[in-house]
Amino acid sequence: MTPSRESSLHLFHLGLLRSASFLVPGKQRAEWWREWYAELWHVRHACAPPGSVSREGKRQVTAFCLGAFQDAVCIRRQCRQIRMPHALWQGSAAQCIFSLGAALTASYVVALLLPGVRAGQILSPHQVNPGFVRIQNTGYSDDSSPTILPRQYRAWKERKQPYFDGFAFYRVTQEPVQWESASAGPQASTGWGVARASSNFFLLLRLPIQFADPDIEAAGNMPKVILSEGIWKREFGANPHVAGSVVRLGLQNARIAGVAPDGSWGLPGKVDLWLLEPDSAISSGAAGYVIAHLTALGESEMWRPRVPITVNNSNSDQPEDDLLGVSLEAGTPDPWSIFLFTVFLALLALPATTSVSLGEYAVYSHKPSWSKRLYRWGFLSAKVALILPIVYFSSLDLAYGRTTFDTTTAVYIQLVSSFSICLFGLNWALRDQRQRCPVCLRVVAHPAQVGQASRTFLAWNGTELMCLGGHTLLHVPGLPTSWFSTQRWLYLDASWAFLFAGSGTGMEHKAITGFSSP
Amino acid sequence: MASETKLSHTAAMILQALDAGFVYGFSIMEMTGLPSGTVYPAMRRLERDELIRSHWERQSIADAEQRPARKYYELTKAGKATLQASRKRYPLLERLIPSEEAKSV
Repeated sequence: MTPSRESSLHLFHLGLLRSASFLVPGKQRAEWWREWYAELWHVRHACAPPGSVSREGKRQVTAFCLGAFQDAVCIRRQCRQIRMPHALWQGSAAQCIFSLGAALTASYVVALLLPGVRAGQILSPHQVNPGFVRIQNTGYSDDSSPTILPRQYRAWKERKQPYFDGFAFYRVTQEPVQWESASAGPQASTGWGVARASSNFFLLLRLPIQFADPDIEAAGNMPKVILSEGIWKREFGANPHVAGSVVRLGLQNARIAGVAPDGSWGLPGKVDLWLLEPDSAISSGAAGYVIAHLTALGESEMWRPRVPITVNNSNSDQPEDDLLGVSLEAGTPDPWSIFLFTVFLALLALPATTSVSLGEYAVYSHKPSWSKRLYRWGFLSAKVALILPIVYFSSLDLAYGRTTFDTTTAVYIQLVSSFSICLFGLNWALRDQRQRCPVCLRVVAHPAQVGQASRTFLAWNGTELMCLGGHTLLHVPGLPTSWFSTQRWLYLDASWAFLFAGSGTGMEHKAITGFSSP
Repeated sequence: MASETKLSHTAAMILQALDAGFVYGFSIMEMTGLPSGTVYPAMRRLERDELIRSHWERQSIADAEQRPARKYYELTKAGKATLQASRKRYPLLERLIPSEEAKSV
């Protein structure tokens, strides 16, 4: 053989190896090529050394190179088998727990990010300071109607009260507002919810004021307004230096003194900003709301959410006023209480929506071991333990996600959404549990219809599902009968294992090392 | 892997060849008469099952002999145990590839 033909043949062999190398996954290709290149060098020197004219030797080298394709395919298959656990992940107990954990994380993150949810505040048990009641007239069925006249407020405040040691008044009106935005210049709105409140309002209710400026507090030449956080974010671009700016309410100028955090304080009326006025400025006008702080005696007497209050007028000619004291805490059920209530309701409603049985009936008198049963109950408990916080946070997301909802609306939304999600979640947890193999907790698959519905009374018909791990078969009757009313599990013995070789259980080793003979 | 794992005859032959001292693919091919398309894939599986392990020859040795470095294989502890079990199953295994053969390679 001439050197040129020899060189061409060598290039051909290298070409075969290079072609085969493309079948090898990229990560292993370099090492695979290195090994086969080295082996080819030795094979060439052993079978067809340079200058040799043996056709048999050349043929052997070519046959050796063709074997590289089988090796490359083998490595490719091995890589797929390594990736098989990802396929086994589908429907496994770990995947279920991971998905629920992801849903919980997502709902919690949304609760933190959504404007209006105020997760930190809503989660706080002290969103409404205790010891406050809202006083209203008993003649009104609607709790949110303003019923107390300024003169009543002034009269109560001036008299020494055994049950109350402080009063605050406010009334909400829709007023045109003009303001200067740092980014967009002069702005105007035809109607904001303006609460004209007594100057002690925030002090009495011990509500925090953000971004307050002591210099502005000290300056007394202009009325002060406190922005709600929603308006501050929406109209003032969440400017932290907003304190000191001037807004115009109708014909009156007022200076911004701070921002009140949004929250469910149990106060009726949708308020965008609070205008703090001296008592003299609110001595007349329309009715409003009165908030009173209870003394120790008052707290001991008014421990119920709603307490009737009788006011003896100093003028004996006037009749007594029949009023009602509504606790601010009772006025706004906190989200946690709503959640617990809806969970209770969902647990009551659950048996009406699905069977509460876990469907662990075996065809024969087979009982899984204690550890398996504990594992199954632990899995169910983990699912429920993850579902409940998902219900809580997602209902908060829905109820408090929009700042346009008032407190009452948000409470109703949370009530409905929490109940619905909780009922659905618990229902799903039970149905999912019934569909999981009692041995490996993997969801059974490959449903097969068995029998004919028309022969229900002569023979069994229904659906059979199979555990992918080869542990069990699940028989679900198509039409429950007196002799086959519930689903039943058939536990498979070791003789079935060969059917599930390579499925992550049982007999993998035999399948892996049981090479076929050449 | 358990020592009682049942190997195919091919896999047992390859283990026996390695035990006899044929430590790279081509020498196993020559010793067993199996084609490259059988020997190398079988060694991949044996290595994956941790019955054998591989290592690269030092480059300096290969350079000294003016040839590319090659990959050597050897039995693991599990591989030796499995081979012992396979010898009981295939009594002729040791006769096919006696350990003395390696000394002549």
